Amino acid sequence: MRVEIDPLARVEGEGGIEVEMEGNQVRDVKFNIFEGPRFFESFIKGMWYDKVPDVMRRICAICTCSHSMASIKAMEDALGVRVSKQTELLRDLLIHGEMIESHALHVYALALPDFLGFPSVIHMAKKYPKEVKGALQLKKAGNLVHNILTGREVHGMNERIGGFSTIPSENELEEIRKAMEMTREFAILAVKLFSSFELPDAARSENTFIALNPGKRFGYYGKEHVASDGGRWDVHDYRKHIKEKTVKHSRAKHSSYKGKPFMVGALARLALFGNKLEGEAKRLYQKHKEKLDLQNSISNNLAQAIELVHSVDRCIQDVDELLSRGIDKRDFAEVKPRAGSGTASVEAPRGVLIHSYRLDGKGRVVWADVITPTAMNAANVDKDFRVAAPRLVNTKELERTLEMIARAYDPCISCSTHLVVVRRI
Amino acid sequence: MKKPRVGIFGFTGCAGDQLMILNLEDELLDLVGALDIKSFTMASSLVEDDEYDVAFVEGSITTPKQKEKLEQIRNKSKLLVAIGDCAAWGGVQASCNGIVSVSKKMVEVYGSRNVWEIYESKPLSAYVKVDFVLPGCPIEKEEFLRAATSLLHGDIPEAVDYPVCVECKLRENGCVLLEGRLCLGPITPGGCKARCPSLGVDCIGCRGVIDGESRIKSAIEVFKEAGFEKDYVKKRLRMFAANYPEILEVK
Repeated sequence: MRVEIDPLARVEGEGGIEVEMEGNQVRDVKFNIFEGPRFFESFIKGMWYDKVPDVMRRICAICTCSHSMASIKAMEDALGVRVSKQTELLRDLLIHGEMIESHALHVYALALPDFLGFPSVIHMAKKYPKEVKGALQLKKAGNLVHNILTGREVHGMNERIGGFSTIPSENELEEIRKAMEMTREFAILAVKLFSSFELPDAARSENTFIALNPGKRFGYYGKEHVASDGGRWDVHDYRKHIKEKTVKHSRAKHSSYKGKPFMVGALARLALFGNKLEGEAKRLYQKHKEKLDLQNSISNNLAQAIELVHSVDRCIQDVDELLSRGIDKRDFAEVKPRAGSGTASVEAPRGVLIHSYRLDGKGRVVWADVITPTAMNAANVDKDFRVAAPRLVNTKELERTLEMIARAYDPCISCSTHLVVVRRI
Repeated sequence: MKKPRVGIFGFTGCAGDQLMILNLEDELLDLVGALDIKSFTMASSLVEDDEYDVAFVEGSITTPKQKEKLEQIRNKSKLLVAIGDCAAWGGVQASCNGIVSVSKKMVEVYGSRNVWEIYESKPLSAYVKVDFVLPGCPIEKEEFLRAATSLLHGDIPEAVDYPVCVECKLRENGCVLLEGRLCLGPITPGGCKARCPSLGVDCIGCRGVIDGESRIKSAIEVFKEAGFEKDYVKKRLRMFAANYPEILEVK
């Protein structure tokens, strides 16, 4: 007998789940990713440095800025570009805005319907008007950051190698702060909602986590990967630690660390660096620490909700710091092409994202490697399925629970379809 | 009045055009209230297999299964609208079409040429009749709302046939091309209010090329005179519209 869930709805892209059973025994469970591959790492070869981030951000719509920032930072690494403190602050604001836009969409619109028993957030609107309105307002506040800093909600253009083409005005930054202050309650409401749900625990099993060390404060940029078993390495050395292989059932390659699957994303970030949170996010994290079951991947939703609170507050702090420093409207680092190689890693909403390039003397790409969080998580989703399916085999809950597990990872399937070069030059 | 039946579908791409529909935060609830949305898998697990008054389709076609599904959607839809650059032109993933084969790309990325059967990235119009194209990477929200309103009444809206430069002049921007950067504004259809040049960034042509009236050859001459390398011009032209015959031929 074969149970197929195809397509898996409320994820960004084409995916499905396949369970193969023999009598009452589960023979195999697979998280299928069958969206058409796009081969970014191949077709980007030959592209001139200045337009590489513009192409690579199009890997994903929801985390377009995570891709553009990983790509821009890898290019700056290769070209030896150093940006100003103001640029760094604007970039910090940008990635926190993206976290809000993405987490609000996932937590409220894609995951919450499972817990409240609706097919979609739109179907929830009648019975839960406050939650639906809050979700849309929160998402809009995140999108406002995209709009002001990058030029539009999806695939902007204003953030460049070297800085921002047009620096936002003081009024625009004030507008961001106002939007954050107005929607903050809905970030807190998300924590309240997701800490109140009983989670299905069929997939409960050991998780190994990897996240980017944010330095002193909780955040989404860094230069070092840290694993929950104590392993740590400079992001330039990622290929020594994170291994990939192609599997037939998925266009996302499967990743492993020390031969085993691992998890990245909000739960991994809180597991490793939750003690660096500040203010209200810190208070909520400590309050719900017991509830945040690290061995149950579905806890990722609650972790995302806590990150929503952190991100809203951090946007306000970044705006305040930018305003108190005074805005320098002519702030752009010099960028000149040269041969070299560069690597950068950022925390995308779904977890660790890596971009790495080698350039020729004119600054054209000769080799590229991108590993996305959905690809890193793919093997861990399979692991959870293998644990959960036998426990649920004779229940009505099988399909729904497997879907919830997959969805908890917030799989961004469009991201995961093109990943990772096997051949290493 | 019976609500118009609508399907929203996605093929190979980043789902950014469907996301732009979800980004209509202020209009979304009214919009979905006025429509009978039969299918929108990105947002809902409720899928009704039905006939559609209008099908909005994002993404390019790259697998046999997608081709088959697109044909089914076409057969069930009165109007089929391509949304976004992937559906309209084949997307950034088509930028090496005619230069690097699919099997070579597959070897480079997945380590083997025969992992799956994959087609070269093509727009929807390579396989089915497309009634209207909403261009852009991503689509413009307001343009979608305006077009959707016409389409749901059964009217085909007018496509933009003037270049980005027209809107750029209206916004009184300085010319990015004259400042020494390669700007694709002269060959790209407007409708974006010249977003990029207005921020001091050159147009990368994410709305494709103005169809039916050849500007490519003269644009290439202008870029050459301005001193841009041939290879740079070619790569730039291919970013979003590599399947356009005149661009496919550029050496």
